[in-house]
Amino acid sequence: MAEQAGLHKIRSLRRRWVTYQVLEVVLFAAYAALYAGAIAYYLISPKLLWGMLIFPVALLLILLVRKPWQMSDKKIAAFLNKEYPELEESTQLLLIPAQQQNTLQQLASAKAAETLSNLNVSHKPFAKKLVFAFIALLVATGFIWAMGKLFHVDKIFYTHDRDVAFCAPEKPEVLLPQVKGVHITITPPAYISRTPFTWDKFNITINENASLRWQVKTNVRVKALSLIFNDIQELKLQPSVDGTEWTGIKQLNKPGFYQVKVDGKLSDLYRIIVLKDAPPIIHIKTPKPYTYIDAGEAQRVNINATVDDDHGIINAQLVATVAKGRGEGVKFTEYKIPFAEEFRGQKTKYELAKLIDLPSLKMEPGDELYFYLQAQDTYHQQSRSDVFRVSIQDTAELLNMTGMVAGSSLKPEFFRSERQIIIDAEQLLKDKDSISVEKFNIRSNNLAIDQKLLRLRYGKYLGEEAEDEIGKGNNDLDNPEDFSNAKKILKEYTDDHDNADDAGLFEPAIKAQLKATLTEMWKAELQLRLYKPAAALPFAFKALRLLKDLQQKSRAYVAKTAYNSPPLKMEKRLSGELDNVTSPTDKQEIKAASDGQAALRTAVAVLQNLKQGTTPNAAQKQSLQLADQKLSENASAQPGVYLPALNAMRRILATSAPKRTDIELVERAIQKSLSPLNTAPSSAQSPADMGLSKQYYKNLKSLNR
Amino acid sequence: MQSLPPYLVITVCAIAAIIFGWLEIKRRKRSWIGLRLAAVLIAVVALACIALPLKYNTTRNIDKAQKHILLTPGFAKDSLPTDANIHFYTLDASVKKRMAKAKLLTGLDELGDSIGLHIYGDGLKPYQLEQLEGVPIAFHPSSKPHGVIAASWPEKVKAGDNLQVQGLYNNILNKKIKLTLKGSATALDSVTIEPRSEAKFNLSAKPKATGELVYQLYVDTALQGDVPVQVIPTKTLKVLMLSASPDFETKFLKNWLAGNGYAVAMRTVISKDKYNTEFINLPQANINSLSATILNKFDVVIGDLSVLASLNPAEAAVLKQQINDGGLGVILRADSTDKKTWLQNGFAVDRPSGKEASPGFISIGTQKSRSGKLPVGAAYINHNNGTQALAKTGAKTVAAIAQAGAGKVVFNIVNNSYSWVLGGDKEDYAWYWSALISNAARKAEPDPLKITFSSLPVTGEPVKFNIDRGDSGPILINNERVAPEQSQSVPFLWFADGQTTAPGWQTLQSGGHSALWYAYPGDQWLGIQSAQKIAATTAYQSAHPILSDVTKQIQEKIRIDVPKIYFYMLLLAACTFLWIEAKRLT
Repeated sequence: MAEQAGLHKIRSLRRRWVTYQVLEVVLFAAYAALYAGAIAYYLISPKLLWGMLIFPVALLLILLVRKPWQMSDKKIAAFLNKEYPELEESTQLLLIPAQQQNTLQQLASAKAAETLSNLNVSHKPFAKKLVFAFIALLVATGFIWAMGKLFHVDKIFYTHDRDVAFCAPEKPEVLLPQVKGVHITITPPAYISRTPFTWDKFNITINENASLRWQVKTNVRVKALSLIFNDIQELKLQPSVDGTEWTGIKQLNKPGFYQVKVDGKLSDLYRIIVLKDAPPIIHIKTPKPYTYIDAGEAQRVNINATVDDDHGIINAQLVATVAKGRGEGVKFTEYKIPFAEEFRGQKTKYELAKLIDLPSLKMEPGDELYFYLQAQDTYHQQSRSDVFRVSIQDTAELLNMTGMVAGSSLKPEFFRSERQIIIDAEQLLKDKDSISVEKFNIRSNNLAIDQKLLRLRYGKYLGEEAEDEIGKGNNDLDNPEDFSNAKKILKEYTDDHDNADDAGLFEPAIKAQLKATLTEMWKAELQLRLYKPAAALPFAFKALRLLKDLQQKSRAYVAKTAYNSPPLKMEKRLSGELDNVTSPTDKQEIKAASDGQAALRTAVAVLQNLKQGTTPNAAQKQSLQLADQKLSENASAQPGVYLPALNAMRRILATSAPKRTDIELVERAIQKSLSPLNTAPSSAQSPADMGLSKQYYKNLKSLNR
Repeated sequence: MQSLPPYLVITVCAIAAIIFGWLEIKRRKRSWIGLRLAAVLIAVVALACIALPLKYNTTRNIDKAQKHILLTPGFAKDSLPTDANIHFYTLDASVKKRMAKAKLLTGLDELGDSIGLHIYGDGLKPYQLEQLEGVPIAFHPSSKPHGVIAASWPEKVKAGDNLQVQGLYNNILNKKIKLTLKGSATALDSVTIEPRSEAKFNLSAKPKATGELVYQLYVDTALQGDVPVQVIPTKTLKVLMLSASPDFETKFLKNWLAGNGYAVAMRTVISKDKYNTEFINLPQANINSLSATILNKFDVVIGDLSVLASLNPAEAAVLKQQINDGGLGVILRADSTDKKTWLQNGFAVDRPSGKEASPGFISIGTQKSRSGKLPVGAAYINHNNGTQALAKTGAKTVAAIAQAGAGKVVFNIVNNSYSWVLGGDKEDYAWYWSALISNAARKAEPDPLKITFSSLPVTGEPVKFNIDRGDSGPILINNERVAPEQSQSVPFLWFADGQTTAPGWQTLQSGGHSALWYAYPGDQWLGIQSAQKIAATTAYQSAHPILSDVTKQIQEKIRIDVPKIYFYMLLLAACTFLWIEAKRLT
């Protein structure tokens, strides 16, 4: 039975080993989770979630790698053999069933079992690693805690989901000793939210027109407690029955600062930051500020816009004005075009889209549309976008002949003008239903030929080569007289590239425009050749417009000849009777505008003296007092910027030996608020040289040569 | 290493030489036998020479005289001589710490009458050099100190002007350095100095207050030194404006001057012998004709060329006399008149035909107008001798100045500066006209006291004052009477000695006037202090050098080891030859 006991001992040792191993794995997993969790806590988000997630994962991983349960009894036996020589290397015999043992083995195992049962196996070799893991964990915990404390890791790293106050923690508020705490109930204006929220600090940031209810708790019973706003207004708080809880209500619409006054004693300054409601922001993506719809293009405008506000939008609409007519007969019609979206007031951003069909606004070619987008937020602040302009090309104006029929240069019949091509193309489109397809195609092709001829004609101005002769077959060499006339032969068979009359007469800008015209004509011709006169029309119109522009450009402006006055008789000039005219004279006393910042300017030098450790005299104290008033004005306008400085100034005024940091805080605030000194002329000082240099210059008289 | 006995080496080498020589001779191939034998001999001799301690005799000059060395801060320990007969002294406890064998002196008089004194380091301050009383010295200056080694800024700045701090920084470190000018605990300007370089720097700031201000120059985060400056409020001037016709330029200028509290009298021709006169902050007077008494009241006259060219002879003479002798300033505004006046001499206006120039920025000195471009037209002033460009657009001069006797004449062709005001750019307008008027205006009463220092005034040390002043009474420094000494060559220059213990602003009074000066704490501007000490000591050394024939020289015989490297090279060369020769055969 001793052998059974020995086997049991070995198994229990194995269990002990496994238990220690698992414990160790748990500790290591905790160690890993602690480090990973700390990094996540400081860098990503201040939550313990990461550490908690990593722990089981790490535990599982290490367990799978180590597999402590795979420890066999044989290994334990081998360990025992190695550690305890009195077992005489026969522990493993205990694992062999008694039936299979030979006599010698039985003897040995019986002896080993006896020794083993008397053996007190130490925990030391099993727990060695466990102790190490435990110490490592302790050290790691201490290290991470110290990191967080010492280096303010929470302040260094900032991620977007932490609020600003978290990354730049403020100094704790200094309260009066009697004041235990405050409870402020802030009710934002109704248009933002109806639900009030509470705040337990004196420094507050509120929406404009929020109403506040202070509940100040005191440690002891006080006689009077009031709030003093911007050094001027006083709000007396009402006590509760026992005199330790004081309440008061006030609506605030301006930034500033306030103090708590308890029985005549004033507290530190607390700031009030007021967030103003911003007007809606409108951004129009399409169309462009100026859109021109050519003839033939769809007369439609697609409006895409976004409207953005901090609290909500209650309305947005397009205000469109159509201008009709020309000259003095312009008529305006105003339309208000709503959007399809429903504005509820809660949503702060809207993507708006609207398709305006111009004919539905009774717009015709030549008319112009002006529109802007108007939006209104929940605070009833309106804002509007820039004015956008859409105009439709006036084809009638383009096709009329005014100003074009000039001079006597009659064109040969085979030229059809661009205008005629357009008219014919429109006629062809009208006739489309009444004529056969072949005829339609033939007419379209003919128009294309006309377009080509016109293009070639204008191409000549650019020095382009003619593809073929237009009009008569020019054959100058028919005349027998010209036989062996070298000039004529050359002219017939060569190109006149260098002919100055043909090319290069125009300015580069005009040439460029002419080229653009030819391109449009090319495109129009292409569409006509494809039997698509409708598609050709926009190009033809554009070509016509460009041509008209070119004609206008070639005109010179000559002003009307002015009236020619007779020459002035100089001897008669200024010779009138002036006896009764008195010389006007004027006398004024104008004082220079006083410098509103004089108090702050004088304080600069005083503060510098203070920094060097001198105690201020009465006049200097006075100037510091004046600067304090000025700073308090600044602080009521911008408490976030100037309030710490004002607090520091009060501390400086209160003590005889102010702190250097306080002085520097005030100096910085003053430097920030001061505008630069005015530049003004002044005379240079002459040196204290007993008039020597003046004498020198008198004798020099360099200009008196 | 214990060297082998010479006879053993020689014997072994001789045997070796014989054996090697015998082997060479015995060889079948007899070519180059002579050379080979020589190479063997050289190799063996070289080997012997390496083994033997060879020495030769020579003589050396040594200085047996007693040498006195004064160590000052900044000395380099490895540059000191190591002879035994040297006595080290120092005045500085920090030097004593570095060099324990130096004797710490309390004053230079403890040195006694030494024939010559060697000074190592930065040297001595001027007042200490005086205590040497002509003892000849040899100065071994340290290398250029690290830090600001020169700096300059005006001690007085007019309100509205920039404070410019210029200087030289010697950066001996291997890293960049940032110089920051701070005022009122705010950084106002900064510059970066490259590593291992000596760089000029120029920092500027516009003072925002008047009075005695102290700015600071920081090197990275360490304070280099204070920059004390007195900001003087501007005093208003009296301006007389003459114009041939009412125009905008005159009107805006008058309004601007009046708005700043200046006294302005304006005379505008409205018809023949009829004037419109205006007096602002001035008592009414008849200025229809100019006289010496009238002109004497004004600091500057601003007038159109047409008015000043058509003055009657008496008026013109009075004006000329006031400018040349009285120091009155005149600002001429060019117009299209073809009359000439002597005031125009030296100012040649050129007007190229062609396209009107596009508007440009105006620059005065190194400063440029901030935002406002001004269309100044095509005309410009050609440079002539005796004139100086004052304002420019690009390369064209639009205002120039010339000295006329004791006074100044400014010629200005900008006729539309009022468009700056209309465009809301009052700063540029004020800047332009301030520069013009300030340059032209009659010099104010002389500065009764002007203090300069030959070296940085530091607390706890004697300070030497150079004072420019008109009177000859006693001088009070911090309410303590000192006896000044008058310069023998310059009658208005006085020298005085003083001392203070507290850093900061100090006073100096003389004849009812008082001036301020600033005493720096001893730990500021160390680079400048070192540079000044080096300069002063070098100057003293050139005045009192140690004459070389005074020192005795003794010759001493010494034995010097012959360098072994030559024998190694010989051995190597001989063996190489033998090796190559053996290869040649195979």
